[in-house]
Amino acid sequence: MLENFSLRTIVEYLPLFGQGLVTTVWLSVLSFAGALAVGIVLAAMNLQRGWLFRVPAKAYIDAVRATPLLAQLYFLYFGLPRLGIILPELVVGILALSLNSGAYVAEIIRAGILSIPRGQVEAGVASGMTYVQRMRLVILPQAFKVTIPPLLGQAIVLVKDSALLSLIAVAELTRAGQLLASDRFMPAEGFITIAAFYLLLYYGLKGLAALSGRWLGLAGART
Amino acid sequence: MTKPIKGRTGMIEFRGVNKWFGTLNVLKDITLSVEPREVVVVCGPSGSGKSTLIRCINGLETIRDGDLVVDGQRLADPATNMTRLRTEIGFVFQSFNLYPHKTALENVTLAPIHVRKIPRAEAEKAGRELLAKVGLADKVNAYPAQLSGGQQQRVAIARCLGMRPKIMLFDEPTSALDPEMISEVLDVMVAVAEEGMTMMVVTHEMGFARKVAQRVVFMDAGAIVESGTPDEFFSHPKTDRSRAFLSKILRH
Repeated sequence: MLENFSLRTIVEYLPLFGQGLVTTVWLSVLSFAGALAVGIVLAAMNLQRGWLFRVPAKAYIDAVRATPLLAQLYFLYFGLPRLGIILPELVVGILALSLNSGAYVAEIIRAGILSIPRGQVEAGVASGMTYVQRMRLVILPQAFKVTIPPLLGQAIVLVKDSALLSLIAVAELTRAGQLLASDRFMPAEGFITIAAFYLLLYYGLKGLAALSGRWLGLAGART
Repeated sequence: MTKPIKGRTGMIEFRGVNKWFGTLNVLKDITLSVEPREVVVVCGPSGSGKSTLIRCINGLETIRDGDLVVDGQRLADPATNMTRLRTEIGFVFQSFNLYPHKTALENVTLAPIHVRKIPRAEAEKAGRELLAKVGLADKVNAYPAQLSGGQQQRVAIARCLGMRPKIMLFDEPTSALDPEMISEVLDVMVAVAEEGMTMMVVTHEMGFARKVAQRVVFMDAGAIVESGTPDEFFSHPKTDRSRAFLSKILRH
């Protein structure tokens, strides 16, 4: 297969790959922002003592984690129009990624908050802080530091998951590879090239994780 | 629902207080009154309920029945603002519980600024003075992880004093410390007591009790078994249980 590997075709298609890469990056950024928003709300619901908020949050998280992302994507893509909600493919894609990744982010945030020792809560309570003050001044700043590395891990997963949006005709990176594969019957060129770009994104995020780790290590948060 | 409090009450007043953890009766019919400016030392074997006793005072634990009145307010009364009441009660933990992401000074000023709403500059000035008072003027900008156990506990005491409380509660403040650090913490506690703070201290440090406590309360199995002046209690314990307890802590 590789004896007639055409670098020239790849170069020819580079603008398309470039556009795909840019689309993948910004839709991933938007989706991750959405996932953080969904995750924070779900984590807050899941940490309540009463069942009224906790049970729906748990059910949602379980449902998302138990079903394939592709099924969720199609569920929104074909399901929303039947409810009379017509959205561009790109918006459906970002929505699906946000809602999916949000469930995982929720568990990361919850674990981060629960990792803060009980004594920290008690110290806040004993000094007369309200629940909101305790969260804002004592718990969340500490939980934030613990959650950054796993959140960046989840961001890496999200970038790779965004490849599925090629199936609903979003012109992202994987779609560019598919186009090259089908237009010129050159699947090797198409998919090896996108693999290289994903690797690039991966190392970018990994570098960010390492930087944040070093920064957090210096911030004197160890007990 | 609001029941008037009968008779005059001390700064801290337990009247027939009971508490259960499941089926375990951890506080049995506790009646105890602590006067303003009084220092009471609570001792007893582990699991006797002494920590639970003082944790009830600021509502870290709740009681099943009986009355607990603190600074003239019944804790069981729905009209009592617990958050507000807690600002009047300093609590020093066995494991310090300093905020690890804050410097010593920030630990001391956090609640004064955000709970008491004292202007930052004023709170920081007071915070520096308090840290100097506990002998840590040079550690103002240190994080807890950079401090020894004794230093952390002194910051924790300064953190409580920053709220200008009426009552200070100490839950085994020196039990987690290396022996050579115990006295630096006790010295600070003696100074606080001598300034007239109302204190309840769970500790087995008899030197401290003899020096500043007006009363020693001995607990066993959730009940107050004996109470008296430090001299009476340590020299002439009245019950078999307190004699057995004292012989164990004195032998070593």
